[in-house]
Amino acid sequence: MDVAPLSIEIRPNCSLTVRGARLLFASACVMPFGMGGFLALKGFWPILPFAGLEMLLLAWALKVSLERRFHSQTITVTESNVSVESRQRLGTERVVFPRHWAQVKLRRPAASLHPSRLTIESHGRQCELGSFLTEEERRGLARRLARAIGRVNESPSWP
Amino acid sequence: MAEPHAHAAAHDDHDHKPHGWRRWVFATNHKDIGTMYLVLSCTMFFIGGIAAECIRLELFRPGLQFFDPQFFNSLTTMHGLIMIFGAIMPAFVGLANWMVPMQVGAPDMALPRLNNFSFWILPFAFTLLIGSFFVPGGAPAGGWTMYPPLILQTGAAFPMLIFSVHLMGMSSILGAINVIVTIMNMRAPGMTLLRMPLFVWSWLITAYLLIAVMPVLAGAVTMLLTDHFFGTTFFTAAGGGDPVMFQHIFWFFGHPEVYIMILPAFGIISEIIPTFSRKPLFGYEAMVYAVASIAFLSFIVWAHHMFTVGMPLAAQLFFMLSTMLIAIPTGVKVFNWTATMWKGSLSFEPPMLFALAFLFLFSIGGFSGLMLAMVPADYQYQDTYFVFAHFHYVLVTGALFSIIAAVYYWLPKWTGHMYDMKLGTWHFWLSAIFVNVLFFPQHFLGLAGMPRRIPDYAVQFTDWNMVSSIGAFGFGLSQLLFPYLIIKCIRAGRAAGNRAWEGAHGLEWELPSPPPFHSWTTPPSDAVIARGAAH
Repeated sequence: MDVAPLSIEIRPNCSLTVRGARLLFASACVMPFGMGGFLALKGFWPILPFAGLEMLLLAWALKVSLERRFHSQTITVTESNVSVESRQRLGTERVVFPRHWAQVKLRRPAASLHPSRLTIESHGRQCELGSFLTEEERRGLARRLARAIGRVNESPSWP
Repeated sequence: MAEPHAHAAAHDDHDHKPHGWRRWVFATNHKDIGTMYLVLSCTMFFIGGIAAECIRLELFRPGLQFFDPQFFNSLTTMHGLIMIFGAIMPAFVGLANWMVPMQVGAPDMALPRLNNFSFWILPFAFTLLIGSFFVPGGAPAGGWTMYPPLILQTGAAFPMLIFSVHLMGMSSILGAINVIVTIMNMRAPGMTLLRMPLFVWSWLITAYLLIAVMPVLAGAVTMLLTDHFFGTTFFTAAGGGDPVMFQHIFWFFGHPEVYIMILPAFGIISEIIPTFSRKPLFGYEAMVYAVASIAFLSFIVWAHHMFTVGMPLAAQLFFMLSTMLIAIPTGVKVFNWTATMWKGSLSFEPPMLFALAFLFLFSIGGFSGLMLAMVPADYQYQDTYFVFAHFHYVLVTGALFSIIAAVYYWLPKWTGHMYDMKLGTWHFWLSAIFVNVLFFPQHFLGLAGMPRRIPDYAVQFTDWNMVSSIGAFGFGLSQLLFPYLIIKCIRAGRAAGNRAWEGAHGLEWELPSPPPFHSWTTPPSDAVIARGAAH
């Protein structure tokens, strides 16, 4: 009996668009650079470098936070395979594991301040899943995948 | 996530919550960092309060009783710096850390490690600042506004002052960036901008103000530093510099700074009054636009702090009229808070009492601000106790009362315990009575011509100074109830429900009390957001 493949798509929550971030950044630049520039023209230049440093920091913070927007993973579980397609800003990577050898592992972090790590592993290869999820979401995903994929000592379903 | 996951109990027992000192030193959790900010703020409030009590002790009678004039001026300077940068601002940042992620449906702040760093800068900054009392020449005594050339005469404490101001500014910038990114990028699906609670809105605008003006402060104090140590003459008239320009630059930072200390208070009051009126906030959108208008106007009114330095008539008129314009959006807010209460089912628990006191007493500060905005009148009031009374009505009965109201409002949520209402009510009445005994007579002293920052005064001012000092002692002592009440609540209060107040709306009240280590581990549903955003 054919079973429809299970597909789970995970992505982080982002409420800011790239355009929104650009607008926000531009509006934040107006006052520090406007005032800093004006005062620099009057000879009081030390304000401008501080404004520049601050805006660099804001740009970095927005970039780091927006990177999340481009992350997503699609996990597809079929009768014979488990495939993980990871998309980032620079490209897509696809990893395929044989379903009956694939193991779902949720590792506690070495340090308690770090997040746990969820992986699918088989034959010495591993693929990390849901690094951008919250702890609770990651644990929920681990349970769901463990149920969907089965254990290594379970036989694959009868063809 | 595209599909929701089941949350079975298996494997859920460990929440990776660190314990012991590591929990605090390496904290990345928004609640822990918020708590640290609030504890720091409370500590600095009492340190700054001791300085204030010493000032009032000296001023109880004319003549020099306890301190020499230099030390007296150090006390006034340090009181100002500690209260502004150590008590009020960190308290609002602490409240933002606690509440913003919960109110926008985010699990934490957007940049948790940056959040940790921005907090841990502050203890070093204040160690430097307070440590300046113990270096040759004593603590800075040129006033919190640091006007040159007076401030350049500071002894060994001068670089400590400048470096601590830089550190405080850096902390504020990092905190503001984190708040902006969290609000803009971490809102739960469905939490649109115009569904956000007023506290979140007011903090978003405050954070914008912070990043707009903090480089100005950093540049200004750096120029003081180079004038002092590296032979530049930015503000030294002898070398072609302009000391008045420092005042322009400082107040371009300083006036928005005033709003940085009051806009989050507006947000808090906008949360509390609807809750205890059991009515939605009247005119939600108007309130948002009013906060934004006040923020915009704060950039174009700076010179009203310095009418007496001498400026063209057109400039005086511009700054006078633009200052008076601020009364319009502020009036919108006061009207809307009053309209929210109109025909509401009011109850008077401590948060509401403090919010009502804010409404009345902040308005007094607002009205005296309008008097000060008038150029001819300001020539008389400049540098008198009238100005002193004005900004203490704004910052004590405005900003501080709103912070106390916020703590009383959200304490059951934070701790999971209700506090002693009777004691809280006592705290309110003692505070409200003594704060007026403390500051209201200072209007009379100022109108009669008593100058600020003077350790001695003419005998004609004695009576009101005595009354004011008695008010200060009463107000200071009554604040001891506050930490006692909080500790008592944490240790032995009765259990609070998720929705600790009957009329409370907002996402934070959908979470358990106390909330879990990570706030919204799964985003709240649209129905929950809509229920919370019942403006």
